[in-house]
Amino acid sequence: MNVMNDQNFFDLAMKAIARQASDAELAELDALLASHPGRKLEFERLQADVRTAKETLALANATGATTPELPGYARGRLQTKVQQTLGRSSKPVEPAGIGQMLRKWWIAALATGVMAAAVIFLAAFPLSSHPMIQVAMLDTAGTVRGSTGDDVAILTQQWKNSTFQSFDKTDSLKNWETNSPQGDKVTVKVIYDRAAGEVRVSLYSFGKPQHRAFVVESDLSATLQEANSFIKENTRH
Amino acid sequence: MFPVLWPAAFGAAQVALQPYLPSDVEDVAIEALEELVEKVRTVRAVEELKPLAASIAHNRAVSRLRQHFAAKRGSGKTESLDPEQYETDEIPLGTALDSPLASLQQKELADVLRCIIAELKPPHGEIVADFFLHGLKYGEIATKHQVAVGTVGVYLKRGLDAMRRLWERQPK
Repeated sequence: MNVMNDQNFFDLAMKAIARQASDAELAELDALLASHPGRKLEFERLQADVRTAKETLALANATGATTPELPGYARGRLQTKVQQTLGRSSKPVEPAGIGQMLRKWWIAALATGVMAAAVIFLAAFPLSSHPMIQVAMLDTAGTVRGSTGDDVAILTQQWKNSTFQSFDKTDSLKNWETNSPQGDKVTVKVIYDRAAGEVRVSLYSFGKPQHRAFVVESDLSATLQEANSFIKENTRH
Repeated sequence: MFPVLWPAAFGAAQVALQPYLPSDVEDVAIEALEELVEKVRTVRAVEELKPLAASIAHNRAVSRLRQHFAAKRGSGKTESLDPEQYETDEIPLGTALDSPLASLQQKELADVLRCIIAELKPPHGEIVADFFLHGLKYGEIATKHQVAVGTVGVYLKRGLDAMRRLWERQPK
C-alpha cells in the first residue's frame, strides 16, 4: 500500500472515530477494512491512540493554562506548606534552585504582607509620614542685628518645601504658634527668634506635642541642622 | 509561583474529575501543589514545575476516581467500568483509568507532557488540539489555520505518531 492510500485510510479512520465521517466515507472505510484484514488491527490501534491522545492533549493544554486564579484559602494553605517543608530544615540536603526560588517566593509574599501592614500602620499612625513643616521668623529688632534676608534664605534653604512667615510682633507670632494644626498630618513649627538667638521647634503629632529650643551660638545653619536632626529623629522623616 | 502553577494543577485535575467528581477538583489541585512543594528539591529547572504539577494532579485525580468507583462497587452500587465504554466519545476525557497515562509515574508523565508541548509547535499543536479536543472538522481546521484541507490529516497523523513514539518510550 502506498503513502497516499495510508493517508487516505488514516483520514477515513480519524473521521470515523471522531464521528465526522459521511455515509460515503464510512462505506469507503468499511470496504478498506474488508479488503485488507491488517487494517482492522490498525484501526483498533488508532482508536486507542486517539483516546490516549485526547487525554494527553487535555493535560498538555492544562499545563499551559493561565486560568483560573488561585483561591485565597488555597494560597494560605500552600504558604503554610512551604514554610513547614522548606523552612523547617536548617540545612537543606540539596539546595536546588527551585527550592530557593520557592523560599524566595515565600519571603516575597511575607514581605508583601509586612509592607501591607506597614501601609496600614502608616495610615493609622501618621507619625512616620513626612511632616508638614512651617517656618517663622520673629524679628522685633528689625535689621539692626544684620540682614534678615540672609537668615530668611538660610531658613527656606533648610526646609525647601516648608511655608515661611515673618513676624515683627510677639503677639502675632504667638497666635501663629498656638494655632494648633488640625487633621492627622504631623506638623512641625519652627520659629527662629532673632532677638533671643534661638530656634524653637514644636512638633505636633498624635499624643502630646513636643517642644525643643536650640541656641544659635554663631552659625544659624548649624543650629538649623541640629533642629532638623531633632525633627527627623522624632518623625522618622 | 503558586498562582502560575495553580491553573496547571487545577486543569489536570479537572480533566479527570469534572465528569464524576467536580467538587473534588480544587481539593486535588491543592493537594497536588502541596505534594509538589515536597518534591521541589528534585526539580532541576523552573520549566519542569508546571508539567510536574499537572502530572501530580492527574495521578491524584486518577487515584481519587479509583477510590470513588471502588467505593461504589463496594457499596453495591453499579458504575460501569466497561472498557468498551471508553471507546465511545460519550465517555469524558480522563476517565480511562486503564489508559497508558494512568500507569505512568508522575515524573514520567511530566516528561511526556513536556515533550508533547515541545514537539507540537504551532500550528501543529493547535491543529491537533482542534481536532482531538475541540471536535473541529477537517474543513473547519483548514479554514481556521489557512492550510489546505488535504494537509490537515497529515498534521494529525504526524501528531499522533509523535505522541505514540513518546508513550512507547516510557517504561512499561
